Amino acid sequence: MNDDQYFDLAMKVIGGQATEAERAELDGLVARQPKLKAEFERVQADVRLAREVLPLVSATEAMAPELPAYARGRLQTKVRQTLGRPQPSVTSASDRERRSMWRWRWLLGLATATAAIVLAVVLWQAPAPMIQVAMLDAAGASRGSDAKELALLQQTWNKTPIDSFSSAENARAWETNSLGNGGRAVVKILYDRPAGELRVLGRWKGKPFAKTFVVEQDFAAALSLARDFIREQTSR
Amino acid sequence: MDRALACDPVFRHPLVVQMPDLQALQRGDAAAWDMAFPWLWPAAFGAAQVTLQPYLPAEVEDVAIESLEALVEKVRELRSVEELKPLVASIAHHRAVSLLRERFAKKRGEGRTRSPDPVQEGAEVDYPDPTANSPLAALEQKELAERLRRTIGELRPPIDAIMMDRFMNDLSYEEIARKRGIPISSVGVYLKRGLEALRRIWGRRGES
Repeated sequence: MNDDQYFDLAMKVIGGQATEAERAELDGLVARQPKLKAEFERVQADVRLAREVLPLVSATEAMAPELPAYARGRLQTKVRQTLGRPQPSVTSASDRERRSMWRWRWLLGLATATAAIVLAVVLWQAPAPMIQVAMLDAAGASRGSDAKELALLQQTWNKTPIDSFSSAENARAWETNSLGNGGRAVVKILYDRPAGELRVLGRWKGKPFAKTFVVEQDFAAALSLARDFIREQTSR
Repeated sequence: MDRALACDPVFRHPLVVQMPDLQALQRGDAAAWDMAFPWLWPAAFGAAQVTLQPYLPAEVEDVAIESLEALVEKVRELRSVEELKPLVASIAHHRAVSLLRERFAKKRGEGRTRSPDPVQEGAEVDYPDPTANSPLAALEQKELAERLRRTIGELRPPIDAIMMDRFMNDLSYEEIARKRGIPISSVGVYLKRGLEALRRIWGRRGES
């Protein structure tokens, strides 16, 4: 029996796929040639290693599942906190010219798209999604600026009660709760005051969407952007 | 933002995929990360799942998210985009192992010998720490990522697929030959080459 045949026989035995006769053949070979016992143990160790390493290799190459929508906001927050805002890159005159041309094309495209959206909205009105709004403020809502922000939230999404959270954990649980997979679509808006973010998370016609708006000086502007984003997403 | 359209040579996916731009990620470009997170997610999730699924399946998603967050912290240390997936898989694996050990230690401290939150309730057997003798768990995060990257690079088709057939799906030589359309005599040759490559990269237990 040559090396390859012995390897194949060992593989069968290790994999539990050998017949009684094959097992007996291997036992006989090992008894007659002690160096084959060491070889068998080596193959056994290699197989154990393969069984540990290959699942991780396979996982590294996997293409599924999909990133859950609720994770995007949290991850983008981490990017901002860790890496900061990106620096604007230096551009040449030709780059600027090219970008300007693209901007015009983009504006033209945007105008067409807007017209199409308006037309679609006029022609077909789907039931509006349920809006849910919440605010996270670990310090509590006693300060003046909090009250002002709360008022702005209420003004933007009037008739919508605003949940208030003082713990990030509770806010995250609220955020990651069901987005109405079965019944009416839901859009969640969380103002994360400590992170300076307004996070929008929703599902419309079965498709999830999410976006984070950074709140800098102008809270009203961030609210307006978030409202426009929701309108855009839910008018498709 | 600069984005390179490239065929992914490392992961050999048949489709042309859009790979993230490492420099943009290192600058903290939100759009680049928005594209990178879904691309990296399967690696983080899969690596966490390998370790946690039998014992703590509910923790898989959290560990995967935390691993992506940890990757953000390390991204400036990387030199090529091909390092991203192996690194996030390595981070997820380490976090999963740590969590499992922590839970096992806690249960042992309480004098209980069941697996933590066992999937099958009522399993009264004494569970040893499943990661105790793992050569993977003994490796540093970067070392594990580097070996994963090398393994993916060295296990060329069809060796990679044949190895998965045999050691993950437990197919026989005959089944592999039929599935892959190769002579049965070639199956052992490919397996031998694959195992040799693994031994070269990972060493034996205790050698790494």
